Amino acid sequence: MALARVERLSFAYPESVRAALDDVSLEVEPGEVVALLGPSGCGKSTLLRALAGLVPHFHGGRFAGRVEVAGHDTRHTRPAELAGSVATLFQDPEDQVVFTRVAAEVAFGLENVGTPSARIGPRVAQALAAVGTAHLAARPVAELSGGELQRICLASVLALEPQLLLLDEPTSQLDLEGAEEAIELAKVAGAAVVVSEQRPDRVLGACDRVLFLERGHIVLDARREEALAWLARHRPAWVPRQALLPGSGPAPVPCCRVEHVSFSYGETHVLEDASLEIGRGEVVTLVGPNGSGKTTLAKVAAGLLEPNVGSVDRNGRACYLSQDPGRYLVRERADEEVALAVRGDLARAREALRGVGLAGFEARHPRDLSSGERERLALAAVLVAEPDLLVLDEPTRGVDPERKDELAALLRAQAHTRATLVVTNDLVFAAAVADRSVSTVPAREVALV
Amino acid sequence: MSPAPAAALLAGLAAAALLAERTISVAAIALLLLLVCLRAPAPRRRLYLVGAFVSGFGVFVVSPFVATVGWHVLWSGPTLPVLGRLDVTREELHVALFQGLRLTAVALAFAAYALLLDHDRLVQAVGFARRSVLAIALATRLVPTLERDAAGLVESLRGRGVEVAGLRGRARLVSPLLAGSLERALNLAEAMEARGYGRPGGTRSPRPSWGGRERLALALGTLAVLLGALWL
Repeated sequence: MALARVERLSFAYPESVRAALDDVSLEVEPGEVVALLGPSGCGKSTLLRALAGLVPHFHGGRFAGRVEVAGHDTRHTRPAELAGSVATLFQDPEDQVVFTRVAAEVAFGLENVGTPSARIGPRVAQALAAVGTAHLAARPVAELSGGELQRICLASVLALEPQLLLLDEPTSQLDLEGAEEAIELAKVAGAAVVVSEQRPDRVLGACDRVLFLERGHIVLDARREEALAWLARHRPAWVPRQALLPGSGPAPVPCCRVEHVSFSYGETHVLEDASLEIGRGEVVTLVGPNGSGKTTLAKVAAGLLEPNVGSVDRNGRACYLSQDPGRYLVRERADEEVALAVRGDLARAREALRGVGLAGFEARHPRDLSSGERERLALAAVLVAEPDLLVLDEPTRGVDPERKDELAALLRAQAHTRATLVVTNDLVFAAAVADRSVSTVPAREVALV
Repeated sequence: MSPAPAAALLAGLAAAALLAERTISVAAIALLLLLVCLRAPAPRRRLYLVGAFVSGFGVFVVSPFVATVGWHVLWSGPTLPVLGRLDVTREELHVALFQGLRLTAVALAFAAYALLLDHDRLVQAVGFARRSVLAIALATRLVPTLERDAAGLVESLRGRGVEVAGLRGRARLVSPLLAGSLERALNLAEAMEARGYGRPGGTRSPRPSWGGRERLALALGTLAVLLGALWL
């Protein structure tokens, strides 16, 4: 008997004309691992929310059809009552943390679903150990890196030992090793898993079945082998690719030279004796495990952080695009947001918006844009300044493969005009965009260039 | 120390400041709370201390102009519509100092609660009104979260070569900060619902038992309220 059954589900969010899901039907068997693929805005997250009962209970909107999970009709069962049978890991780990310390955070769900008090501590310890974060149990969540926080959120859902595990881009901030572990852990937990991903290479190896959504429709529902053949024929950007990173040879004429830099946040040493050169006309990718100081080194290169020790020589203007840049938009019109970097020059701003495919969006409020559109708006907001050094921190987080290819093409096409440093865990993207790739190893042994 | 009796002690001191009738008593309570707050790391405590002192000073500066107490006039100004004649008396200054110190003491008690207590353990420790305590704990996190978001916004703008300077520049960040915190609140509410929040039959992690320090803190909190009401 199916664990979850979706019958002719159609759903539109309040105030939205277009249906987010349109006549969707599927079944999920116990223990099955289903990969949910599709471009940004195709309805993947909405389908996961429907399986968790959050659609329609939390979001409202127009709902037709039927969703049944673990024998409960979600129209008549609140999401909180489904919790325990169903566990959901959301896209943004920063936005789902309730408590300030790791152990309390993992215990939260267990307390809510009525786990006996004596069992809570051992289950928390077990879940933290499973995701390799037992040593973080007493740490404040505010001190964790994005990757560490994502592991904690994964531990929080694994601790519930659910029958159905819903993972919405669970590996967006994890390095490759961490991502493979996360999918494997979900599989080993014995639950049925529905996992939405923008990096198909991270799930296609582990899944039993693939669903591909477009504009709210399921256009593919097939076993893995059949799905791979279909993707190769119809959506080649989604086929897992080999990531062959270029080497780390010397830079041509350096635009930015970071030499023997050390940096600490308070008493936490993040960089020690790190060096890096980025030459004009090249794209350099900075890869490495979570917590190895990639972002800190990038900020030092861009001039946002002053190193405690060492020197930074930079020729010309540097611009830095932070992780999750869509969160940091300040104006009420898209063109004004972009024009900030060029002293209000709206003509240049509109040209930059066209360059990232946002022509026609000039008057839109940045917060009304989808997450993918916000990311492109933020990219336009730095590209407009025509910097000599462009630093992008995880620019493909939450971006689908087709958009990634477009971004790689854009960076390659403009590479000759500047020096570009891209911090990324996405090795496929790194391979597509890089002239050179340098890697951080644990901070105490950083030896780059 | 367990956070529940520590919170009770701080609440007792705040109540004593509100009940006390002598300026010197309120000043002593404010000083004591300031010393407690100084145990927090300097970068974290700065915003709370500035908030406490600015609000107390604000009351001290404004209230003499709107109050009409006393007859020892120190300064006499023009007559304004609604407010009437502006003047400052010695008695008004005394009342303003007293009320300013009261507000400062209460704000410092909150600052100590926000900076030094483990809110997770506080939520886990309470045996009643858990939802209310969790709501207060989440609200307490608003200040550091906004601080972090503001730092992120400033860094993001600096990354584009835009410097945020002066009061006007910072004031422009208020609207995006509020919009961002509303988005964050919605996402958090959704995540909490998905994790079973509000479902009947919840349990709690085992609570550590109280020792002598916890009992002493609770007794001192109660004593502070009594002293404030009867003697200070």
